[in-house]
Amino acid sequence: MNIIEIKGLKKDYPLGKTTVNAVRGVDLNIEEGEFISIIGPSGSGKTTLLNVIGCIDTATEGSVKVGGAEITIMNDRALTDLRLHKIGFIFQTFNLIPVLDVIENVEFPLLLMKKHTKSEIRKRALKLIEEVGLKEHATHRPAELSGGQRQRVAIARALVTNPDIVLADEPTANLDSVTGAQILELMREMNKIENTTFIFSTHDEHVLKYANRVVKIKDGFIMEG
Amino acid sequence: MELIFKIAWRNILRHRGKSIIIGIILFLGSLIMTVGNGVISGMDSGLEKNIVNGFMGDIVIISSKERSDNILFKIMGKSVETITNYKDIKPLLEQQDYIEAKLPVGKNGAMVINEEEGEPGYAYLLGVDFKEYKEFFKDNITPVEGTLLGDAEQGLLMSAKARDELYESMNVWFIPHGGKLEEANLSEDAKENLNSLIVKENPVFMGFSDNNSSSDIRVPVKGIIKYRALNTIWGHFAIMDIESYRRALGYFSSADTKIDISDEKKMLLESDDLDSMFGSESIIVPDKGSKDIDVDFTRKKLSTTEGVDLESGTYNLIFIKLKSGISMEHGVSRLNEAFSNAALSGTDPGVRAVTWKKGAGPIGNMATIIKGALFFFVMMLFVVAIIIIVNTLTMATLERVTEIGMMRAVGARKSFISGMFVGETAMLSGLFGGFGIIVGVVVVKLIPYFNITTDNDMVQLLYGGDKFFPILSFVDIFVVIMQLFAVTVITVLYPVKVATGIVPLDAISRD
Ligand SMILES: Nc1ncnc2c1ncn2[C@@H]1O[C@H](COP(=O)(O)OP(=O)(O)OP(=O)(O)O)[C@@H](O)[C@H]1O
Ligand SMILES: [Mg+2]
Repeated sequence: MNIIEIKGLKKDYPLGKTTVNAVRGVDLNIEEGEFISIIGPSGSGKTTLLNVIGCIDTATEGSVKVGGAEITIMNDRALTDLRLHKIGFIFQTFNLIPVLDVIENVEFPLLLMKKHTKSEIRKRALKLIEEVGLKEHATHRPAELSGGQRQRVAIARALVTNPDIVLADEPTANLDSVTGAQILELMREMNKIENTTFIFSTHDEHVLKYANRVVKIKDGFIMEG
Repeated sequence: MELIFKIAWRNILRHRGKSIIIGIILFLGSLIMTVGNGVISGMDSGLEKNIVNGFMGDIVIISSKERSDNILFKIMGKSVETITNYKDIKPLLEQQDYIEAKLPVGKNGAMVINEEEGEPGYAYLLGVDFKEYKEFFKDNITPVEGTLLGDAEQGLLMSAKARDELYESMNVWFIPHGGKLEEANLSEDAKENLNSLIVKENPVFMGFSDNNSSSDIRVPVKGIIKYRALNTIWGHFAIMDIESYRRALGYFSSADTKIDISDEKKMLLESDDLDSMFGSESIIVPDKGSKDIDVDFTRKKLSTTEGVDLESGTYNLIFIKLKSGISMEHGVSRLNEAFSNAALSGTDPGVRAVTWKKGAGPIGNMATIIKGALFFFVMMLFVVAIIIIVNTLTMATLERVTEIGMMRAVGARKSFISGMFVGETAMLSGLFGGFGIIVGVVVVKLIPYFNITTDNDMVQLLYGGDKFFPILSFVDIFVVIMQLFAVTVITVLYPVKVATGIVPLDAISRD
């Protein structure tokens, strides 16, 4: 079953008097449980594509279905709830809430959902923290963690709600290659454990070996995949 | 909710320095407002107690010819209208079951004639049957020199403050009739001029009344007195027996009404009719050199109003004390209804009842005015707080754009983001402002235990009497809470607008 169906997606950015055609007509289907890498040179439209799929940016043209629902017609509230319940984000800059410690950061989306009891939330968060190997650091604040550790927290947070899709825009770009490899391995592992669909972008050829499918993009078009 | 407050609280701690500055302003604002309100409410109730129990009663009945209700301190020269039908009013008052006591008085300004070369003096006169006065106001006045008036005794009780003021304008120092000069009681000025001090015992008054019939009248000082509290206000008043007062003002005295004569005849018969009143030996129509004194009570022995039906004469006001538990407003409306039913409310010779607050004019409104000023002062303080908080919060918003964008991307609704900012401000104002209110309440509640009293006249004005007794009403506290609430709301509006404008895409810094 296709968890994501994209047809004729176009995204234009107005830039002064001209428009930048960041994505120029993309068709892409992604199946549940895939571990997909989007690769392409800088400026090719990787981030734009991920943002549209992740409902944090809007399409100019075309159709995007996430979990069968057409997102191009949704309002802000519906998109917010969709992000909360169906999508997990891992940011390039390990975006965490500085005043919350590791476990509270991981619990954050679950608390927003208001679906579970406090103890359920704590249990689930602890399980994921253990899986990403941060058990010892559960009560540390982000400022007290290394980049790799922060990215692990982000992965745990992205997965804690049991989302259908996890989106990661160059998750290893700010990490050294060894740590980067560990993070990708972890993501792959989580993909296996939780059967969550992972889509991550990169322009590093070395990380392609982790993906079970590679989508190549250039100048806003899909070249291969 | 818990999550919002957790994040808000930790952000307060994170920006500790700014939070403390904001907190201190909010704390001080609430504290000043609470204690200030307490002191002013205390002043208000103190004033009320002292004025009601010591000077005016709860309600004042005035002539319906009176344009304004404010009859206590009219501009000098503007006289208080007369009430000539007390005999008709009295039985009506006695029928009212909510009235505890009544006291008809004369009240007007008078000139004190200077028999030496020099400026005249001025004083307010309160003409009363002193026996009734004592029953009505109890031990409100104490003699500093001399004695109080005996029953039916004629004479003057001059307040110490009025004596000081008269000395300043007239250069004459008054002492009780037949008394000695008490040097310890001299005012600073008088002490300096001790050698050339002119001492007198029998001032000559000329009342300010609208008819031209006021007389010069010499009245002996029986005592120099002090009011229990608020001499700054009441010290302007000298108490005079009602018959002498009527003479000074040229009113119908009770003696006049004994012989039924017309007004014109009364003028003509002035001297005869004085005899009829006091008996030939007690009164002397003087021929005293250059000064033309109409009536002199002092040549022989002091006079008495014994056996005279005082109530048939002219008054200016009737003070009413209500039974406890009856509100002034209720009393006033019941009384005016009764006057109207008894056809006593017409213009002539009608009367109307007003609360002491209205009767006392600006003094009655003093507390409200000061409270208003305090409110605006604290509001200004809060405006400063608002500016600082808005600034801090907006800065914080701009510093946290990626963080807030991330929250939105991860699934936080706009309401959650607003909640964080509202929570942060509400906590600051609730915590520090609330603490300010609590400290203020404690201070206000503790002050009475220290039993702070004062003899200082100016401080007495602030205390509303001789005792410092601040009180707090729920309304006062409610006003402070509403102020804090307003601060919170006004403060968060702009930062919330900025914060909710942050979109999930802002989580990703692309440059
Ligand atoms: N907000 C924007 N306004 C204008 N142009 C934009 C905006 N965002 C992206 N673009 C342009 O759209 C094109 C695609 O950008 P995008 O960020 O998707 O590329 P990318 O493949 O992620 O590149 P990189 O590998 O450098 O991250 C680029 O030419 C970029 O300059
Ligand atoms: Mg990119």
